[in-house]
Amino acid sequence: MKVLAAGVVPLLLVLHWKHGAGTPLPITPVNATCATRHPCHSNLMNQIRNQLAQLNGSANALFILYYTAQGEPFPNNLDKLCGPNVTDFPPFHANGTEKTRLVELYRIIAYLGASLGNITRDQKVLNPNALSLHSKLNATADILRGLLSNVLCRLCNKYHVAHVDVAYGPDTSGKDVFQKKKLGCQLLGKYKQVIAVVAQAF
Amino acid sequence: MALFSVSQTAFLLAFLSLRTYQSEGLSEPLPWAPESLKVSVNTTCQCLHLQWTVHNLAHHQEFRMVFQIEISRIKTSNVIWVENYTTTVKWNQVLHWSWESKLPLECAKHFIRMRSAVDAAKTPGPRVWSSWSSWEEADVQNSLGQDPLFIFPKDKLVEEGSNVTICYVSKSHQNNISCYLEGVRMQGEQLDPNVSVFNLNHVAFIRETGTNIYCKPGQGDGIKGTVLFVSKVLQEPKDFSCETQDFMTLNCTWDPGSDTGLLKQLSQSYTLFESFSGKKTLCKPKSWCLWQVAPESQDMYNFTLTAENYLRKRSVHLLFNLTHRVHPMAPFNILFKNVSATSATMTWKVHSIGKYYTLLCQVELYGEGKVTQHNVSVKVDGAHLFSGLEPDTEYLAQVRCANGDYFWKWSEWTHQNFTTAEAAPSEAPDVWRNVKTVQGRCVVTLFWKPLSKPQAHGKILFYNIVIEYLDRTSVSEVLSIPAPASGTELPLNQCSSQIRITASNSVGTSPASVLVVSREPGNEEVEEERVKGTEDGFPLSWNPQPRHVTGYLVEWCEQPRDPPCDLQWKNLGPNVTSTVVSSDAFRPGVRYNFRIYGISTERVPYLLARKTGYSQELAPSDNPQVVMTNLTSHSFTLSWKNYSTESQTSFIQGYHVYLKSKAGRCHSGSEKAVLSDDVVCCKYKIDNPEQKTFVVENLQPESFYEFLVTPYTSVGEGPHDAFAKVTTPDEYSPTLIRILLPTVFCILLIMITCYLKSQWMKEKCYPDIPDPYKSSVLSLIKSKENPHLTIMNIKDCVPDSIEVLNKQEGTRKSLTETESTKPTYLYLLPTEKRYSSPGPCICFENFTYNQAASDSASCGHVPVPPKAPPSQLGLLTSPENLLKALEKNYMNSLGEIPAGETSLNYVSQLASPMSGDMSNLPTNPPEPALCSEYKMQMAIPLGLASPPSSGSSSLSSITLLDEGEHYH
Repeated sequence: MKVLAAGVVPLLLVLHWKHGAGTPLPITPVNATCATRHPCHSNLMNQIRNQLAQLNGSANALFILYYTAQGEPFPNNLDKLCGPNVTDFPPFHANGTEKTRLVELYRIIAYLGASLGNITRDQKVLNPNALSLHSKLNATADILRGLLSNVLCRLCNKYHVAHVDVAYGPDTSGKDVFQKKKLGCQLLGKYKQVIAVVAQAF
Repeated sequence: MALFSVSQTAFLLAFLSLRTYQSEGLSEPLPWAPESLKVSVNTTCQCLHLQWTVHNLAHHQEFRMVFQIEISRIKTSNVIWVENYTTTVKWNQVLHWSWESKLPLECAKHFIRMRSAVDAAKTPGPRVWSSWSSWEEADVQNSLGQDPLFIFPKDKLVEEGSNVTICYVSKSHQNNISCYLEGVRMQGEQLDPNVSVFNLNHVAFIRETGTNIYCKPGQGDGIKGTVLFVSKVLQEPKDFSCETQDFMTLNCTWDPGSDTGLLKQLSQSYTLFESFSGKKTLCKPKSWCLWQVAPESQDMYNFTLTAENYLRKRSVHLLFNLTHRVHPMAPFNILFKNVSATSATMTWKVHSIGKYYTLLCQVELYGEGKVTQHNVSVKVDGAHLFSGLEPDTEYLAQVRCANGDYFWKWSEWTHQNFTTAEAAPSEAPDVWRNVKTVQGRCVVTLFWKPLSKPQAHGKILFYNIVIEYLDRTSVSEVLSIPAPASGTELPLNQCSSQIRITASNSVGTSPASVLVVSREPGNEEVEEERVKGTEDGFPLSWNPQPRHVTGYLVEWCEQPRDPPCDLQWKNLGPNVTSTVVSSDAFRPGVRYNFRIYGISTERVPYLLARKTGYSQELAPSDNPQVVMTNLTSHSFTLSWKNYSTESQTSFIQGYHVYLKSKAGRCHSGSEKAVLSDDVVCCKYKIDNPEQKTFVVENLQPESFYEFLVTPYTSVGEGPHDAFAKVTTPDEYSPTLIRILLPTVFCILLIMITCYLKSQWMKEKCYPDIPDPYKSSVLSLIKSKENPHLTIMNIKDCVPDSIEVLNKQEGTRKSLTETESTKPTYLYLLPTEKRYSSPGPCICFENFTYNQAASDSASCGHVPVPPKAPPSQLGLLTSPENLLKALEKNYMNSLGEIPAGETSLNYVSQLASPMSGDMSNLPTNPPEPALCSEYKMQMAIPLGLASPPSSGSSSLSSITLLDEGEHYH
């Protein structure tokens, strides 16, 4: 596990404030106790679907805003610089059971949340004047946080899953500026692609 | 110490002698050669860092040595850098040296070696070098990783205008890699099969977020890039200055120049250092800094302002005496005391800068378009007296101060307005008059110009007029006209009078203007002269007067066309005989009249000259309204008497009469002219502008002509717009008219007479009811053709009869069916003797009745009261009377005669009985008669009429018409 970015750590601390926060979470045994911080919403799955649809609706605009702000050569070389070749992105199987899909969704959201935190931090430095991009990144991160909480509620209440092993993308803090731009673009390209599949699956 | 120096020199000489001996004989290496050479790479600064030691140095031994360092690139034989590094070497010392490569160190291997020599610059002879160290390699490429393509340097920060070398390292051995800077392809050179370099000269600042440089291979999608951060060059602070307002703080300011802030570099910072006190402060603002003045007396300050960023540092210095940098605060509390019409005292306060300092204050006064300036020395409070001011005038006073002992800077201005008091008007109003006589009485209209502000010295409230009659027979009159009136009309009791006009404000009265009105009208018969206006106005001149005059006056109207004349005048001195009258109100094409008066010593004006002219003459815009008279077959007369030559846009010099004709010939007195539309016509010229009639002669009868009368002036003639048309009459037409007109008149007279006597004519020629006795025709016939023919006597005619018949029940229905609701007119000839003997009879048709009868289109079964007396029947000749009578009588008869038993039936005297048995009629009178029509009465020749049967006296009518003869 690489060193987590400064923007990711607070996010994870908030999401996993319980004992064991900051370490990979194993899938809880079925008989383990599962407690959520707040009572879950009655219509949880519907909320999850709506949040996924909201993310899916804004993903392309976020992608365009991002690569436009990076300047040439990004807008004209999307396939080479922003292709969705993120090797360690968590998999998703749309034909799996709901529990499997929820677990995979949890991993994806955790991965995306951390990566989006890195991108937001980098872009505030690299493009301090791209305010609309910053706004869109923050809005997406907010929805992801809510979605993660809802998925965790669902997993906990229905399937008694309190801990899920998650993985995070590479930390970009030590990378050069061009590499930061490229990794962010690739991640958002992947996000746009994956969120469409996930939203369709639910 | 001296002993040590001597021994060291002796040692060195001995060493050099020994070294020379060894090099010549044994060739052994120098004992102080560099050893343990280590090379490290710092890719951030692209630096090679060397460290080494020198052995065999004795304890506390020091030598100044020279180290020659060689750097090769790619291979050892390719030496790219040689440098001699001189330093003092001590025992057991680790030496360091760094070198910054322009080429990123990742792009190529570097090799470094060195040798040393004792620095013997003071000693003659060649330098003795140690042997070279072995080559040390600096290779970063091995640690790059497994990516197929790399670009260096990463995120390099350079200044604008510097040169940068970029390279890429390809591990996939591709040759077709292209690199771009902001989308523009760069041309590079190949360093080795896997490395190419690109030299960017004078890089420009593009944006704060950096410039993207990227390379992409011909195949695959491995685009790699780097960002080059180009910073603006840090500039030296300009206009660095410090000053104090209160000896408490120093305010230092400067111009920072452009900001060098970037993503990779913060904006430059500024530090202020004072060398005497040794204090230093970091200035957060970029262009100013506050420095606390030391409480102890420090007069001199030596400041160093340092601007610094990641790449560069720049400093400026400032040395000054604090008392020479005093910039006082603006004065305050300005007051004005003792403000009169011509003077005022201004006072103000200043912020103290210490009791040992004197301030120099500058006072400025703005008013009436002038500026006055005064300098005043001030300790605490300042005061200044303004004198020679204008009454009732607003002034602006302002004051600023500076250090009086050593001038550095003025303070900001502090200003205040004040207004002087009013005074009595200083000048008499400029007055002129217009005298006219109304019903034998002199009426003077006075005009005056408002006093200017410098003359009025306040707001004018009244104009006072005093009329003094010169013959002293009348009492003087005093009038007061409220301002802002500019004139008044005064009826005078006597013409000879003197009028004095003064203006008053709240303080006093102005001197008087005196006008003398004389009964003599003046020289009104002065001939008018023309004057030509220019751009500057109207130049007027007149002859100097032999008698003494106190001055001249020119008067004119600025709006001469309209009734409001707007009288203007200009007073001139007694020695002036010319002037130029100018006004913004003068317009081109307007005629202005000027009258020049001389003012006698008795203040009586008399007319000297009259001038008239235009500021600019314009061509006439309208043509006269022409009336054509006296049209004959050979001539006509044109007249435009209503055309005023005075109110035109230029002086009328005459008229042109244009005449167009088909013949196109011009007679004497005219000339051919070609108009703007290429039409040729004849032009007659009238040179006298007052001649406003013209006779066009030598015309052809029955010919069509067009004519136009237009004025001409020095600037052109009127428009050639609408030609009037005329056709000359036939030559004989007047004669014919002389015959035809009386004839037509006579015919009309006869017709009118006939119309008026139509009744008489009708009775004479075609009466409605011809009177045979009055018919001359018949008498003529009678006398010439048939002496036996006579006029039928009405008593000889067979009259119609009305019979009362008994109506059968069975026939009533059919009778009702045939009845018409339309009244049927009945004509009954009056008769006194029925069944008279037959005789010759002539009857005239009654068309009125006949028409009514025919309209009925049915049988005329009109119930008629039986035995109507002849007199009553005579009244029934009118249809209305007849109807009324019939209705009345019919109702009466209905009341007397039972219905169905009797009815009235009309039997024409000419209708043939339906039944052949005539004897039945008299014997059966109640028998209802069948339908019979009223026939026209006819004249029946005596020979054709059969005599009525004596045995059938009840026969009422008989058909006597022959088939061959009809009378109508």
